[in-house]
Amino acid sequence: MECNYSNKEVLFAALAGVLYSLFGIFNIAEGIGVNTGLAGILFVPGDILGGICLVVIGTVFLYGLKEMRQGINAGVSFVYVGILLSLVFMAVYLLIMAGSLLDSFIVPDDYEGWSIMETFRPGIYLGLLSIAGMLYWKDSFSLHEVLVFREGY
Amino acid sequence: MTEKITVALAGNPNVGKTSIFNAITGSKQHVGNWPGVTVERKMGKRVHNDLEMEIVDLPGTYSLTAYSLDEIIARDFIIEEKPDIVVQVVDATNLERNLYLTTQLMELGVNLIIALNMTDLSLAKGDRIDADKMQEFLEVPVVSTIGSKGNGIEGLLDEITKEFHRPQETDNVFTYDDAIEKISQDLESVLESDPFFIHYPSRWFSLKLLEGDENIIRKAKESDSYHGIEKILNKVDAELLEAKIADQRYKTIQTMLRQVCNINTCSLSGSDMVDRVVTNKYLGIPVFLSLMWAAFEVTFTFATPFMNMIDIFFGRLAEAVTNVISVPWLASLVGEGMIAGVGSVLIFLPNILLLFFMISLMEDSGYMARAAFIMDKLMSRIGLHGKSFIPLVMGFGCNVPAIMATRTIEDTRDRLITILITPFMSCGARLPVYVLLAGAFFGRDAGVVIFSLYALGILIAVVSAKLMRGTVLRGEDTPFIMELPSYRVPTLKGSAIHMWERGRIYLKKAGTIILIGVVGVWLLASMPAPGSNAVFASDAVYGTTQSVIGVIGQFMEPLVAPLGFDWKIAVALLFGVVAKEIVVGSMGVLYGAGENEDNLSQILAAGAMTPLAGLGLMVFTLLYAPCFACIGVIKRETGSWKWTMFQLLYGTSLAWIFAFIVYQAGSRMGLLV
Repeated sequence: MECNYSNKEVLFAALAGVLYSLFGIFNIAEGIGVNTGLAGILFVPGDILGGICLVVIGTVFLYGLKEMRQGINAGVSFVYVGILLSLVFMAVYLLIMAGSLLDSFIVPDDYEGWSIMETFRPGIYLGLLSIAGMLYWKDSFSLHEVLVFREGY
Repeated sequence: MTEKITVALAGNPNVGKTSIFNAITGSKQHVGNWPGVTVERKMGKRVHNDLEMEIVDLPGTYSLTAYSLDEIIARDFIIEEKPDIVVQVVDATNLERNLYLTTQLMELGVNLIIALNMTDLSLAKGDRIDADKMQEFLEVPVVSTIGSKGNGIEGLLDEITKEFHRPQETDNVFTYDDAIEKISQDLESVLESDPFFIHYPSRWFSLKLLEGDENIIRKAKESDSYHGIEKILNKVDAELLEAKIADQRYKTIQTMLRQVCNINTCSLSGSDMVDRVVTNKYLGIPVFLSLMWAAFEVTFTFATPFMNMIDIFFGRLAEAVTNVISVPWLASLVGEGMIAGVGSVLIFLPNILLLFFMISLMEDSGYMARAAFIMDKLMSRIGLHGKSFIPLVMGFGCNVPAIMATRTIEDTRDRLITILITPFMSCGARLPVYVLLAGAFFGRDAGVVIFSLYALGILIAVVSAKLMRGTVLRGEDTPFIMELPSYRVPTLKGSAIHMWERGRIYLKKAGTIILIGVVGVWLLASMPAPGSNAVFASDAVYGTTQSVIGVIGQFMEPLVAPLGFDWKIAVALLFGVVAKEIVVGSMGVLYGAGENEDNLSQILAAGAMTPLAGLGLMVFTLLYAPCFACIGVIKRETGSWKWTMFQLLYGTSLAWIFAFIVYQAGSRMGLLV
């Protein structure tokens, strides 16, 4: 099958794969009580299940990287679907932030001394990378059925 | 003058029948059940060009050789009710599979119109379909539609009007090889000579006999001429003929498709790309579990502010009403009984709605079918079918629609096992009990405890399925055959409608069964026990051993005492069979917590119950007899009191054993006391 991916997709898969996997591991480590020292700087929470999800997304990117390196053209699917997955998780974390913010207005007593940044998660800033990837590949991003409803027929 | 006609919408599952139905009927629709079975029957009306059309949305079916309950209902409706027009909704992105049903509908001789749906998706894929050529080839009207947007609906209605007034011809379009034609004609002559078969098109009936359709053969056996039919059938190899007939139908379809379509096979489509990842041998299940986790995370965290709003509203309402009513017993009934009881249930409405919304998004996008596919291997290890997975996931929302959803499972044993284990999936109604007790006793670890209960339910379901498959419901595994629909963008409106349809059941329950339940609990807690001289609804009686409820509870207490429960818990569990939500409401009444949910939590944490008993109560609530609505559905779907009673006794016994182990083992080890 003809392929139209470039080295940029390979690089993106490598970068996103490593970052997501790494942050997933940090989340898990914090969750089991290992102090990574990143909780304050990079907002890494102690969240075992959330961490596993980040590792899964990272693995999707790395699987695509492996296939593309082996010359399997369709491996690019893993990059595009990895982007979709990471955006879903970014949306989930933003919804959680929004929920906490709203709750802080409803029951202010429960949120004394609380800051919105306490709910900020790596899944949000890592998602920015995926937004960049999505914008960059929007024309070659051939997930038409998923993303586009064309008018007229 | 307006004429009345019936129009049936038929087609494979997930082709957009319901979107077209909604686009045609708008708000003029009603939902009921098919006579005798609990399969949803959607009907609606539309007047167009002097025709009053009654539109019937049939369950999805792949062919007229019916296997599942849905397929039998769709086929029987077309054959027995003889609708004036059958509109087959065809997925333009998957023509070959969809047109197989077309061949059978044409053989049946119905007045057929094809709605070529999702043409926007096929265009986006790069396919080109010539609808006029298709119409010419099939000699059946073909109308292009986009059901989700309502495009092409007026054209479809015009075509229905034209087709209704057109003189009918019943020529066969599909012919088979000489050998099949010869046997078919022999059978047709027998069928035509017997008035018993006058109701059925003889061409279609003879082909069904040759395909070895069990339902049709059973019907033929009722006739006097079955001996003649049997003689002809004995000469042929039914399995070989079935394969040959299917093969020849597909060849005709392929010949037509070559002439009318230009299918783009040059690039990997979006569906293919997503499927490469989500059905991947190694990544499929982890991706699925991650998405499920995301759905649950949103359900339980984003809902919190809305839950607090409802809690505050009901708290203030109860307070205001109690202040206004001067008669103490009436104030207690309205405030502590009705408002607090219903409020304690409605507080979980945001969770329920969000969970259903998430499940709808997964279903409407086409992902849930993939989930069933990837889980099939895992499910078959526990003796179940991949299709059992969807009802089990739905069970997390509410067990009632989940049990009804098992009707898509063809194999009777798989279906029965799925029905029997679905109540172990923690439905939304159990959540109030978990949240209350986990919050009271486990503080920051409440989330882990609740998650563990969900996991325990799944584990018990898995082990039970394995046990049943190996003992009382032993049988061969059935292969997984399920069409994976194209991915679609789930619309906010569509998912919101699904969410509301299911959430409405919960609301209705809160307004009826639960209200009656909490008032019943209040009354029994207020009435003095026979023989006592106490006053109705006085502080000395209310929720004490002096009340009727106290007597009932003390009678039951020995049964639950080994689990660490007192008589109040016994009563709450008894009322929980009406609806699980009542467990919390009953505890509120019996522990005298009043209208504030937090009070009950504080009372429990202050020593009314030990953390270990609390954990046991959560386990008991998870496993014991399901609610009345669920019991009713189990009876209707299994058609057997024997299996219904089996589920109740099996679940309740497990609940007792597990709660006993938790309490006794925990106490001996000195844990959580």
